[in-house]
Amino acid sequence: CWSSREIEDLGLTFAIAIDKGKETNTEKELKEEGGSYPKKDNITLTYQFVNEKAAGAGTSGGGGSGQGAQKAYINISETGDSLQQIGSEVALRRDREVFSPHLKVVVMSEDVLHTFPIDEMLDQFFRDNEIRLSCLVLSAKGEARDALQLKENGEIPAFRLIGLGENEHKVSRILPPMTLAKLIGKLHSGSSFLLQNVVAANGAVKYSGAAVINGKSKKMIGTLNEYETEGITWIRGEGKGGVVKSHDKKSQQTLAYDINKIKSRIQPIVKGKDISFHVDIESEGDLVENWNTKEALDTQFIDRLETTIENEVKKIVGQVLKKIQHDYKADVAGFDESFRLTYPHLWKRVKNNWDDTFSKADITYSVNVTITHFGTVKTQ
Amino acid sequence: MMRWRNNQYKTQKQHKSDYSTAEKQDQDVLTGNIGYDLEHVKRKIGHNGDVHFRELEITQLHVKAALIFVEGLSDQDLINKGLSVLVMNQPNQVSDEISQSGKGILTSKQIKNQIVSIGDVIDSEKISDIVLNVFMGSTALLIDGIPQAFLLGTVKKQNRSIEEPLSEALVRGPRTGFTEELSTNTALLRQQGKNDQLTLQRFEVGTRLKKDLIIAYMNDIADPKVVEEVRKRVRGIEIDHLPESGYVEQLIEDNYLSPFPQVQSTERPDRVISGLMEGRVAILLDGTPFALIVPVTFSMMLQSPEDYYERWFPSSLIRLLRFIAAMITLFAPALYISFISFHPGLIPTKLAISISGTRQGVPFPSLIEALFMEVAIEILREAGLRLPKPIGPAIGIVGGLIIGEAAVQAGIVSPIMVIVVALTAISSFAIPHYSTGIALRMLRFGAMFCAAVFGLFGVIMYYLLLSSHVVKLKSFGVPYASPAVPYHLKDWKDFVIRMPLLVMKRRPKMMNTDNTKRVK
Repeated sequence: CWSSREIEDLGLTFAIAIDKGKETNTEKELKEEGGSYPKKDNITLTYQFVNEKAAGAGTSGGGGSGQGAQKAYINISETGDSLQQIGSEVALRRDREVFSPHLKVVVMSEDVLHTFPIDEMLDQFFRDNEIRLSCLVLSAKGEARDALQLKENGEIPAFRLIGLGENEHKVSRILPPMTLAKLIGKLHSGSSFLLQNVVAANGAVKYSGAAVINGKSKKMIGTLNEYETEGITWIRGEGKGGVVKSHDKKSQQTLAYDINKIKSRIQPIVKGKDISFHVDIESEGDLVENWNTKEALDTQFIDRLETTIENEVKKIVGQVLKKIQHDYKADVAGFDESFRLTYPHLWKRVKNNWDDTFSKADITYSVNVTITHFGTVKTQ
Repeated sequence: MMRWRNNQYKTQKQHKSDYSTAEKQDQDVLTGNIGYDLEHVKRKIGHNGDVHFRELEITQLHVKAALIFVEGLSDQDLINKGLSVLVMNQPNQVSDEISQSGKGILTSKQIKNQIVSIGDVIDSEKISDIVLNVFMGSTALLIDGIPQAFLLGTVKKQNRSIEEPLSEALVRGPRTGFTEELSTNTALLRQQGKNDQLTLQRFEVGTRLKKDLIIAYMNDIADPKVVEEVRKRVRGIEIDHLPESGYVEQLIEDNYLSPFPQVQSTERPDRVISGLMEGRVAILLDGTPFALIVPVTFSMMLQSPEDYYERWFPSSLIRLLRFIAAMITLFAPALYISFISFHPGLIPTKLAISISGTRQGVPFPSLIEALFMEVAIEILREAGLRLPKPIGPAIGIVGGLIIGEAAVQAGIVSPIMVIVVALTAISSFAIPHYSTGIALRMLRFGAMFCAAVFGLFGVIMYYLLLSSHVVKLKSFGVPYASPAVPYHLKDWKDFVIRMPLLVMKRRPKMMNTDNTKRVK
């Protein structure tokens, strides 16, 4: 039975957090006992393993559905300079070897993203044939390993991180998942892109904003907040749901629009040497909240609400466009793609300096919102 | 090696028969002297307690006579009725005629025509003949002065009534099954419909205990080459005794080393007839309710008559299900082993966690675990089979539930393993042909070992090995894997799915039938 590896002898890894080198207390103690090797302490990797005892107790013990007293996961941190070396170092500390085909998430701290080019940092992930390219890449504010903590017992934080990404139907502030496979494409094309950001505090996490990675330096150059991330969704037309909240100008009452459909068309316009864009955004959705119960819900009123929402969306889009064009000078909203498809010959000339070209381009946008349903509430 | 042994066997036999013919010359023929003949017959079979010798006198003619019959085998009522003329009353008519003939003695013709009122009478002068027939249930009548014995057909049939076939129960379909009586079975075949082309050819098989065997085929449909091949193989059977058609099956099959059954056995007359209508040949043996159908293909083993009785859509799905069940039977534990021991990365992540968790306490590698459970369930199955009917299901419950549950509790096997084993066992029972089910169950162990050594790669190699064997295998000239290999697209109408009856206009091409049209 050569090359057989029984599943119970493997340490299934679900998540890896990459932080800047900072040894944990356990590591320091082990080092004092002489357990170390020549290395630079550049990065700290945190592996998340399943705690098999807790997982087993949940199923075979009967009754308790994984709500044992133990945490369902074990995090092990190891510091060094080579990712592969760190991985094998973990095998010295744990009886189950690292087994990464089930790796779901890589979380990188903003610190790391600022300091190291992302392609160098993830090189080992692309080369290792054990790791699947469907693995998700996230950035984290603060320490990345904090995102791999969970207050509750019986759950595995890695799954929570993936599960959050699947809530696109409810929120428009989530970017489409950036997997290793997609990341390879981005890195090769040299275009700038966004990584979904998470913030963690005290065993709780939240998807919040995005990290902007420059296509040239492959380093992080800034962040977008939640509001701006929503703008990206509108420009790309990739949202599957979400809410736009606004205030009616006349009555100053709160109203909310539930997005059903977003369609956007980025139209590149070339006039001589000038490149400009027009973004045409259309959306359909429902009026789900309207605190202004005084006014009659007639066509006129609906039209007014639609305009209000359109203005709100314009505000969102305008803000993020300003940020990515002028602050970051990085095209992360997919303008390059539409330009490449419309003007393939011109694209060859501008692609090497695209981010620069983009930052100088004139961008106009129009928003058209249609309210299709407004509920069964009858207003007098 | 086999041929050498056969030859030796043949020469021995020849030697023996030479010896017996020499003996026959002076002893095997009746003399006509009843005292002497009776003595002679008695010497030959008299040591058998169940043989009755009844001496009597035909009163009017003052002729001595004797009846020889075996108790239980011969119908006593029939003897009494048929010979009442002979024994006592109304002899006047007979004696008148006899006196008219002027000779004063009975001729064999007169006896046949006038005295004995039983339909089936054969006269014979050979004692060995008499003995054989008496043992088959005939009654021998010896009359003084006539060097002949009259063998009266008084065979009492030991019949079982026609019942529903136990091994092939259907929800919808005829409830008739074959019985142990050959004549009943042939009658059942004839009763399936009026037809003058149904041919039933009789053979005698068994060198020591002789038995009737019948080859049935449709004269205008079956390929003459196939029929001739069956005849040839049946004639080639040289064995003491054939207690069941399983003997015939094993003696005429193409490859006795193959794990796959190459002959289909069935208890159902309807199944036999539909086989014949496809150009196949059936073999019926006296003394067993199991008829054999040849040639067969592997797909036939996964078909049930019900597929044709129900409407085509559900039938097709059920057939597909059986193919899946066959694959599960063969490969489920092997796949479990290879996933657990070689490719944990291929299991869905959450399942991997729970398997990893539940296998924590299991002290054995997955092969041992799987073997343990598979062997346990085979023992349970075998035990349930042998037990009397009221206890059988109880054992199933005790074994299945308690051993399964307890083994998991004790940490010998993981719960997933129990599911795999149970699924495999149930799947193997979904295969309509019992022998095929056994064959697949047996092959499963090979797959498990391959999986334990090479993982998925081993399972694939094992599948290729089996496939290459099946592709090479033939049953009476018809490739076992047809219509898949060789490829007859037209025959796929009745393969994995069953097309509507009106679409299956022609008989299977692989059978090379004379008359191809099935639907006008």
